[in-house]
Amino acid sequence: MVQETTQEPPAAPPLGPVAQLLREALRGIDFETAQTPIDEAVTIRRDDFRQVMQTLRNDERLALDYLRCLSGVDWITDLEVVYHFYSFKHSHGLSLKVRCPYEDAHIPTVSHIWQTANWHERETHELFGIIFDGHPDLRPLLTEEGLGYYIMRKSHPLADIEEWQEDYLQTVQEAKAQMAAAAGEAPPVDEKAAKIALAQKKAAVITKTREEARAKGLSAEDEKAAVQAALAKFEEEQAAAPSAAAAPAAPPVDQRAAKIQAAQAKAAVITKARGEARAKAMSAEDERQYVAEALKKFSEEQAAPAPEPAAPAAQAPAAPMDRAAKIALAQKKAALITKTREEARAKGVSPEEERQVVAEALKKFSEEQGG
Amino acid sequence: MATDYRVPVEPEMETLDINVNVGPQHPATHGVFRMILTVDGELVKDLDPVIGYMHRGNEKLPENCDYRQAIGYHDRTDYLAQFNTEHCFVQAVEKLGNLPVPERAEYIRVILAEMNRMSSHLMFLGAFGTDIGLFGTSFMYAFRDRETIQDFFEEITGERMMYNYFRPGGVAWDVPENFEARCEQVLAKVKRGLEDIDGLMMENEVVLARCRGLSTVSPEDAINWGLSGPMLRATGLAHDLRRAEPYSIYDRFEFDIPTGRQGDVYDRIVVRLEEMKQSVRIVEQALEQMPDGPIMAEGMKRILRVPAGEIYMRVESPRGEYGVYVVSNGSDKPYRHKVRGASFSNLSALRAMSVGRYVADVILILGSIDIVLCEVDR
Repeated sequence: MVQETTQEPPAAPPLGPVAQLLREALRGIDFETAQTPIDEAVTIRRDDFRQVMQTLRNDERLALDYLRCLSGVDWITDLEVVYHFYSFKHSHGLSLKVRCPYEDAHIPTVSHIWQTANWHERETHELFGIIFDGHPDLRPLLTEEGLGYYIMRKSHPLADIEEWQEDYLQTVQEAKAQMAAAAGEAPPVDEKAAKIALAQKKAAVITKTREEARAKGLSAEDEKAAVQAALAKFEEEQAAAPSAAAAPAAPPVDQRAAKIQAAQAKAAVITKARGEARAKAMSAEDERQYVAEALKKFSEEQAAPAPEPAAPAAQAPAAPMDRAAKIALAQKKAALITKTREEARAKGVSPEEERQVVAEALKKFSEEQGG
Repeated sequence: MATDYRVPVEPEMETLDINVNVGPQHPATHGVFRMILTVDGELVKDLDPVIGYMHRGNEKLPENCDYRQAIGYHDRTDYLAQFNTEHCFVQAVEKLGNLPVPERAEYIRVILAEMNRMSSHLMFLGAFGTDIGLFGTSFMYAFRDRETIQDFFEEITGERMMYNYFRPGGVAWDVPENFEARCEQVLAKVKRGLEDIDGLMMENEVVLARCRGLSTVSPEDAINWGLSGPMLRATGLAHDLRRAEPYSIYDRFEFDIPTGRQGDVYDRIVVRLEEMKQSVRIVEQALEQMPDGPIMAEGMKRILRVPAGEIYMRVESPRGEYGVYVVSNGSDKPYRHKVRGASFSNLSALRAMSVGRYVADVILILGSIDIVLCEVDR
């Protein structure tokens, strides 16, 4: 289409064919029209937005079923969202624009009409700070934890590369202060900050516990167990503390932890029963029955003290205690193994003999423990 | 169809859905992408894609560059289809600024863009082979041919990846004298290679067993989800921007639009393979028609200012509709510069396509989208 690009653009008619259809479909709604080099563009008022969007999709004459692109534009005086549509039925396209003021940057979502708008709106929300009302999931898309300021706005210029590192923190703080000053946009940032703070605390607990465990020289499995116990304790503390931020997050986590504990207890019962059955050299069918009986007994026991809701909570601290004893035992065992091995090496025995010596020492140790 | 390989569970055991984190490094390195799967055994119950690891402000930076500097940023969005993306942006500037383009430059652009489509699809076929477990066979065959195209591009532009060769009003410099001969040489190699890959992949037992009937998509869903390119055509819709809204000189060539039947993963491979054959046809026709003459429009200003206005220019990139929304306020820099990546919209449908499938199939579905994360995150 070289010829077309070399020609003067045709004098824009007052109303293009698609805009004409739009006018017919939407009597009584005002919109401005313009001609871009390819598509016709119409600008509508925000109040008419919902009605217009429904019509674009559902009206047979328009049938704009494909949302190609959704872009935000910062016009400094206000914000604009531009939608580019295409109709597979009629092979025509339309660009539609709607503006909203800075102070009230709200536009209804279209993600229920065109599902592809979901990510586009999330991105535009993140980069321009436009809130799409009714969007099912307006989390930040490109920066998982969110930035707190809107990088695509013209009020956020590119930083000088030389001074970037020194000024960066200051810029972030200023932008955050600016954000806090602007009304209506503070709450989501706050909630997020609380969430982040909680996650950071949790991470600190994990790191600490893990370091302690490593200092003690625990095995990887015991280390994991210790971390889980510490986390459970931390979550209980969080739930107990009357903190506003932690309160909504804690209950589902607790429930899950209780569920996990119950499942673990059950698994322990199964393992134990199976072990017993095997020790008795039962057949596979008998074994299954034995396990089922043990489980039944277990669930009856569980059900008995269940009436008061305190029961699972009372049971919860018992598990870490058990685990601590287990850990101590494992540590003793590990120390014994290390010691025996070192002694064996000092004597210069072969690896096989060494293994045997260690096994004997372990056997002796467990006998002592049993006694 | 996939067989039911779930392990029977003991009914007494209570099972919990587990969250599995995949990434942020895809095993076959499609780019840095992460997804959080909620699985019940092998069954995917929920999928939350996490993107943004490659976010570099590729929309913001060009707003601070002049129109020619911004071309380089388009190499860095879809880095497997650089000529297609450059083509899109320079056309947007040309249409906004009403700039003429010499015939020869148009032909060079189309030839390179179509060659780029082949190299991108070869990359897909190779990478998809690794996804499916054919590492070393399809990958090596595909890359053998891709390498010849890559060498050819390097001879022309001096670069292997970030070509930066198209300019508003033409191309940066003329192609070498042996352009046509080399082009035919490369085409002959690719054509032979396509037969190899066709025989290797399309009737392969593994490919058939794992891809047929996997993640079928209806045309209505595809439109609603904003799919484009091979993903859309696999559903049976013969929609190709080169035909639907012919840009550049695509209205002068004869080519078919390959479509699939049910939009499953297998159809997506077939469509891409057939598309490469059509690209070969286009390049052959373009080579026949290509005239001599200037490669840059006359009277181009050193500082390029385009009149105020806006345009949403789109082209058919190998991955689908690649669009650039440029708003000009009459200065030498774009006021707004938005990139609509084809992978972005295609990837946003991943959750809808994957839920209810097995974990191993999700990797195939992800692979069949043919994502380029730099285009998704920008």
